[in-house]
Amino acid sequence: MKIVGVAACTVGIAHTYIAQEKLENAGKKAGHEISVETQGTIGTESELTQEQIAEADIVIIAADVKIAGRERFEGKRIIQVTTEIAVKSPNKLIEKAVEVVNQKN
Amino acid sequence: MSKIKNLNLKGHLLTAISYLIPIVCGAGFLIAIGMAFGGTSQSELIQGEFTIWDALATMGGAGLGLLPVVISTGISYSIAGKPGIAPGFIIGLTANAIGAGFIGGILGGFLAGYLAVAILKHFKVPKWAKGLMPTLIIPFFTSIIGGLIMVYVIGLPVAGFTSLLTNALEGLGSSSLLVFGAIVGLLSGVDFGGPINKTVFAFVLTMQAEGINGPITALQLVNTATPIGFGLAYFIAKLFGKKIYTPVEKETLKSAVPMGVINIVEGVIPIVMNDIVRCVIAVAIGGAAGGATSMVLGADATVPFGGVLMLPTMSQPWTGAVAILVNVLVTGIALALIKKNVTEEDVKAQEEVEEDDIDLDDIQIY
Repeated sequence: MKIVGVAACTVGIAHTYIAQEKLENAGKKAGHEISVETQGTIGTESELTQEQIAEADIVIIAADVKIAGRERFEGKRIIQVTTEIAVKSPNKLIEKAVEVVNQKN
Repeated sequence: MSKIKNLNLKGHLLTAISYLIPIVCGAGFLIAIGMAFGGTSQSELIQGEFTIWDALATMGGAGLGLLPVVISTGISYSIAGKPGIAPGFIIGLTANAIGAGFIGGILGGFLAGYLAVAILKHFKVPKWAKGLMPTLIIPFFTSIIGGLIMVYVIGLPVAGFTSLLTNALEGLGSSSLLVFGAIVGLLSGVDFGGPINKTVFAFVLTMQAEGINGPITALQLVNTATPIGFGLAYFIAKLFGKKIYTPVEKETLKSAVPMGVINIVEGVIPIVMNDIVRCVIAVAIGGAAGGATSMVLGADATVPFGGVLMLPTMSQPWTGAVAILVNVLVTGIALALIKKNVTEEDVKAQEEVEEDDIDLDDIQIY
């Protein structure tokens, strides 16, 4: 499965990046292709390409604040959570994402 | 309740705060440096009659004075997107003008954002006039409605409430300061930069915008001291011949402690996750001690972020240093005492820690 994600927290210097790391590790561990964009105070990093978004089966948004560029995901299945959930239960979150994708099919 | 949750009030506030923090930090340091060298923040810099320190203090003062506007614009933007910016800005300025301050700015932001959304939704214009919508109709109607509500309805009571709160806090005796500081410290410690911490942060930031620097200083000193306390605990435990961290955790500490020094508490989260109850207890005790010390001694940083970098912005930097020290010591000793000895099995077990179940209410699926 292919997953893309966005992480963004309030101060934009810590939780954002922890969430990114946890999600990517959990995703890879479960055998998915995953990349997570970070929108910190420094701005957007590891920006998702249009290709990545187009190919993705699901979008995971782990954010406490309004994210930029949400319209890029129009028409996609999106799971939205706070960064806290992505940090605390990344593996369960990935499982949930798989479940959501399978429901659709 | 679910309707209120759908409005996502806190999310909008946090979005605005994320824009606010760099402004407060930049302006806070400017005014702190300027005033440390004898400058004053002035409403106008008259050619030839000011020093560079006056200039710095004035730059900082101007930035801090606009905080109600920044929070209002940020909230409105979070709610309504780009069309929210203009009315958020104008209503924020209105809040400032009527003396409704930061709380007024917060209310004004919500007002502006939801009005802009409502007009966008219910105001139908013919096709040829589409261009007028974002340029004239939304900014004008949102601002006139929201601005007048601010001036005639919510402005005065909020201004009254703000000055009441400010006076009450300024008039606190040292025993109340002790309790207040302990509560702020405890609450900010318990979830390591998570939602409770951020809610308290929003509250104490409001006070700082009203010129009361004590509470936010207490909060951030606790955030600074907590990871350092985790580091100290390692050495204290070693004195007793106790091993409280696994090798992985020791590695984590090497980056978590320096991060703590500059106010990033989140570095210790991986360690906390392995032993939540004991860590939270130790941190809460230390945080309460540190917060209380900070408030009683009157540590008063003008910037709301920066860890030890906040010290030079205080009128008496030693007060902040003592508060950090107390907090680090208490957290460190508490951790060393209550954390268990690490055994081989723990090291293995740690690799397969059970995660918290996700509460279905916490996720939204589109």
